[in-house]
Parts: sequence; structure tokens; C-alpha cells
Amino acid sequence: MDAADRQMLETAVNDAVADAVASDGDAAVLDKVLTDLGWLEMLDVEPRDATEIVFTALGASNAAASALDDVVVDALGTDARADLAVMLPPFASWQAPGHRDGGPVRAGGIATSRIATATDVLVVGTSDSDVWSATVARAAVDATPVRGIDPDAGLHAVHIEHTAAVTALDADAWQRAVIAGQRAVAHQISGASRSILALAREHALEREQFDRPISKFQAVRHKLAETLVAIEALDAAVGAAWDEPSPMTAALAKAQAGRTARIVAKHCQQVLGGIGFTTDHAFHRFLKRTMALEGLFGSADELVLDLGRQLIAARAVPNLVEL
Amino acid sequence: VVEQASVAHAMDVAEFREELNAWLDEHHDELAPTYDPPGTLDDHIAQMQRSKRILFEAGWMRWGWPERVGGFGGSPMLRTVLGAAMAERDLADPGLYSLVEVLAPTLIDFAPPELAAEVVPRLLSGEEMWCQGFSEPGSGSDLASLRCRATPDGDPETASTWVINGQKVWTSLAQYSEKCVLLTRTGPPESRHRGITAFFVDMDTPGISISPIEMINGAHEFTEVFFDDVVVPADRILGDVNGGWAVAMSILPYERSSCFWQRIAYLYRRLRLLVERAPTDDRSAEVVGEAFLQMHSVRARSRATQHRLAAGGPLGAETSVDKVLVATAEQTTYDAIRRLMPGIAEMDDTSDGEMWRTEYIYSRAATIYGGTAEVQRNIIARRLLDLGDE
Repeated sequence: MDAADRQMLETAVNDAVADAVASDGDAAVLDKVLTDLGWLEMLDVEPRDATEIVFTALGASNAAASALDDVVVDALGTDARADLAVMLPPFASWQAPGHRDGGPVRAGGIATSRIATATDVLVVGTSDSDVWSATVARAAVDATPVRGIDPDAGLHAVHIEHTAAVTALDADAWQRAVIAGQRAVAHQISGASRSILALAREHALEREQFDRPISKFQAVRHKLAETLVAIEALDAAVGAAWDEPSPMTAALAKAQAGRTARIVAKHCQQVLGGIGFTTDHAFHRFLKRTMALEGLFGSADELVLDLGRQLIAARAVPNLVEL
Repeated sequence: VVEQASVAHAMDVAEFREELNAWLDEHHDELAPTYDPPGTLDDHIAQMQRSKRILFEAGWMRWGWPERVGGFGGSPMLRTVLGAAMAERDLADPGLYSLVEVLAPTLIDFAPPELAAEVVPRLLSGEEMWCQGFSEPGSGSDLASLRCRATPDGDPETASTWVINGQKVWTSLAQYSEKCVLLTRTGPPESRHRGITAFFVDMDTPGISISPIEMINGAHEFTEVFFDDVVVPADRILGDVNGGWAVAMSILPYERSSCFWQRIAYLYRRLRLLVERAPTDDRSAEVVGEAFLQMHSVRARSRATQHRLAAGGPLGAETSVDKVLVATAEQTTYDAIRRLMPGIAEMDDTSDGEMWRTEYIYSRAATIYGGTAEVQRNIIARRLLDLGDE
């Protein structure tokens, strides 16, 4: 995709997503908007541009959609379709959610809003070194909407205990799904972070105290500058996860997303002061959404711990990206 | 020339890195430091100059530099790859080596062509050291307030010599240097960035005296340099009279791209040394993982910055982001070392302890030199976030 095409697509997606959110569109509406924009075809042909543009837009508009299911299903080598949901790992984890010891498929994890309308649920599990998937009828899946910090995120707690046929997957299949999922969520957190920064910046320029906009105070300016630095670090890390795709670069991107989300929330909430603590201001919706997103495909703390263990076990520090 | 240029163009960065690393492996014994770590500043300078000489003679040191100054041409990224490989192998301290990367381009861009052709090869080949006379006692973060005065002997347009009086401070390695890129005040005192002129000064000119400053890690990298009626020929002016600010600012893209990449390579090496001996518990894993995350993100950022520079994009305020990230990652890495090797900086009198102590202390300057972290945040706020003036 050349720069001009990409720009057009970006504008089209941003506008459509923002319009749908402005008219209080729920996840089903957002899913339809993405389908009409040709999301699945884009994901097939230009996965990087499609994922980056769509998930950044979802984050920027604080839109809930179920496109993450498509990203994961696609990475597993299965054809994505609107009535197929996927089971995501439990909060903070990135392990395949399914288990099986000769008996029924047991799995516990998270599902997006798609679980409400899906006919089937794809679940991936590991047994010893084998990776397998099972497609379970929705009726056999126990799914409860999670209110939690962000009822609007559309997330569900999902459990399966069901005898189902399993299909063997190649050994790297789940890793590919994790890489794809981590990158997508990292883009979404980046989009949300830039919107939060824009809100805080706007507030700092408008809010006057001591006869001047608070944006004149260096303490405020430095918090906003630190916020931008954290977002740029995230964009660089997620870019590297596309340039040099590997479990490690994707884990680093998602870990950076988690770290960035907290820096953004902390500084921008402080700059927003009292108004940021009310539901009159949009900040709280972004804060709550990024808190939920932080846990998808690995929290920063868990990922950082695992990365450190890997380095110490190998007694090596890989460069990962080169000029 | 056409043939050489096409050869240079064909030298792709990945291929260069591969061939360079193979060559460095092969010549390890010849290049490796001859001193016991940590070594003195004298040792480090001698090591760097010896490495540069060997690498210049073998041709590696010429790639990425223009042919008119003795280079082989090709992408400037080639020389960045070389600098990083040297840092990774402890062949040259990136702080010392960075003077090559910032001062050679200054001469190439602003010196009369015959002067650049004469002197740049001496810097590249390790024959000479140069220093950078920018900061003054009253001009640190606020460089445009500098006062070291250059007065023309007659009309500024036609004067054949200028006389320099004043003082510089934090001038790295002046006591080792043959030349200095010096910023002087040539306009009225209040002219700020509009009244600054850059000179290329021989350090053996009468009237220059140097006084080393002992840093808190015991090294004498920094100096004070005093200028007392120092006479400099007019053909040693870099750029235009009163055009010195452009010279100073032209350094920034190099300092913030290739030099950062080299420092990052050096810090990866430090993190490796830590990882080779870190305990296998979860606390260590967390500390190592956090430093690795920060180092990786800044490496990814720096890579993107250099690709933007190579594509001809201007580098300006956005490199303040790189600066903040590098400084933060550097301090996190040395904090990790101090946390996981208790006593290494405080109680260890072996050469190992000496090295980590010196480097840990030096890492505290990362948020001060090259523009303080606060100045970077001011720039980000004003230029990137468009928050207006304070």
C-alpha cells in the first residue's frame, strides 16, 4: 500500500469509527462498520496496515469492537468470520487457555463482545508440546459479561468443559496468535493514549488559574512531554514487532504498551485535575478501557518478568533490531 | 568517481555489518584493549586511536564518509554500524568516539573544502583528536548566551586574523586534542544566536591554556579552556561570520542519531555483562526485564530516527524524545547493575568494581549532558505539543 492509499484508508476508518461512536454505536454497530469498510479483506492482503489503522482508530475513539477475534483466528490459520469467536487467555496471561488430559476440553479465559452473537467458539490449548484447537458450539460455552472496570468494553468471562474434537496445530500456531494479538492491543493502547494526551493538552491550554492557562506552568508541560515520550516509545516498540516479528519483539511491544498506558493515565489525570475525576469528561472512559486492555495477551509486569527470566536463562541479550 | 560511487551504493548496510563483524572477529587479538579493565582515560584514548588507525588502514573507517575527505562514500549508516560494533566490543568508548561522529560532519559541511580534505582524514585515522568548545561557565543549557569573544583584526569582512578571548568549560578531552571547533561571540553581547561565529582552532596556538576538571568518578575527561589573545586566521572560520549557530545546530542530527545508536550498543553490552552473572531469581528477572524493555524501545526508536535521517528527513525537535529515552534507559540499566550486584559500586576494589563504579557514576550525567532532560521536555512541550511559550 503506498502512502496516499494508506492515508485515504486511515481517514476512512477513523471517520467511520468516530461517527459510529458519536452516535452511541455498540460493538455490533462497530463490527458492521468495519465489515463494510472491508476489514477482513484488508487483514488478509495488508495485515500490518489493516491492524495498525483499525486498532489505532478503535483506541483513539474508545470504540469497542470484536476485531481482535479476527486477528487471532487469522493468525491461527483459520478463516475469520463474523460468527466465530475466539477464547482469549485469562487476564494478564498469554498462555493458550485450553487444557485436555485425554478427557473433555477444559478452558477458561476471556471473550470479546463477539461471544454474544457467535455460533462457534474457537479455543486453543496445549498438552505437553502439542498445540491443538477445538471449535465448540456457542451453546456449550459458559459466558458471563464482565462489568469490571469497563462494562462498555464488552468483555466476557468464559469457561468451557465440553467433549469436542480437537485438531492438531503446528507448534508455532499459538505463538503466532499471541504475536498478532499483542501487536493489535498495543496499537489500540497507542491510539487511546494519543487521545488521552490530546484531552489533557486541550484542558491545559483552556484551563486558567493564577490568571494564565495552566499550560504555562513548567510542571504541567513536563508531565505532558513525558506522556508523549512514553507514547513514542510504544510506537517504536510496536513498529519493531512488525519489522522483526518474533515472540520477543511482540511481548516487548505489549509490555511497553502496559507501561505507557500507566504513564499516560497518571500524568494526564493529574493535568486534568478535578474534571478528569468526573464522568462529565471523556477521560474516564479511556482510562477504564486501557486498564482492561492492559491485561489482554499479557500484563506488562508478567511479560517483563518472563523476558527477564528468558535473558537470564540464556545468559544473553539479543539485539532484535538492526539498522 | 562514478565507479567508486556505485560500489559504495552497492554496499548494503546488512552486508556491511556481516563482513565487518567477520573481519573484527578475525582481527580480535590485534584490536582488543591492551590494558586491564577498567583502564585510565589515557588507556581509553590510546585504545580508540589505535583502533581507528587499524580500521582506517583496513578501509572500514572510510565507509559512509564522502570521498572528498578520504572516505569511500555510501550511506552514513555504514559508519554508525562501525561505531556500534566498536562499542559492543569495547574497542572504543562511545563517549570518546562520538567526537568523530559530531565534529567530522561539521568540518565537511562548513569548512573550506581544502581544509576539510586535509584535516578530516587525520581525525578518522586516529592521527588527531579534536574537541568541541561550546559550553561556558555562564552558558550551559542556554548556549546562545555564550560570551567568549572573537574580534576581527580590522573589518570583519576582510580581516585576515581574529583574536579570541574568553573561557570554555566542560570541554571534553581538550588536553588530548590537536584541534577545537570553537563557538565565539562576534556580535553585540545581546545578539544571542545571531552573533555567534565558529572557528577551527589549533590547540597549540599561543594563549590557550587547559585545566582538567576532576569528575566525581575520578576521571579527567572534562576541562576548562582559557583563551588569552589567541590569534586565529580568518580561513579557519567555519560557515559564515555570525553564522555559528547553524554550525552548532548542524551537530544535533548526528549526536542524536549515530551517537545514540553507538551508546545504545554500548549499553546492550553492559546489560549483557549483568545478565551473564545475574542470580536466577524472580527479582533479578524483573530488574533485568525492565532494563531490557527500556533498552529495546529506545533501540527501536533510534533505528526509526536513523532511517528517517537516511531518507533525507530533517531531524529537529523530535530527537528530544530520543534523548530522554536514551538517558532514562541508561540510568535504568546502571540502576539494575547496582541493584543486582550489591556492593559492586560501593565496596569492590577489584578492577571489576572500579569499572562499574566509574560507569555507574558517569551514568548519572546522562540527564545533564547534551541538553538536560528538563530542556528536552521544554522543547517537546513547545515544539511537539505546541503548548506555546511558558
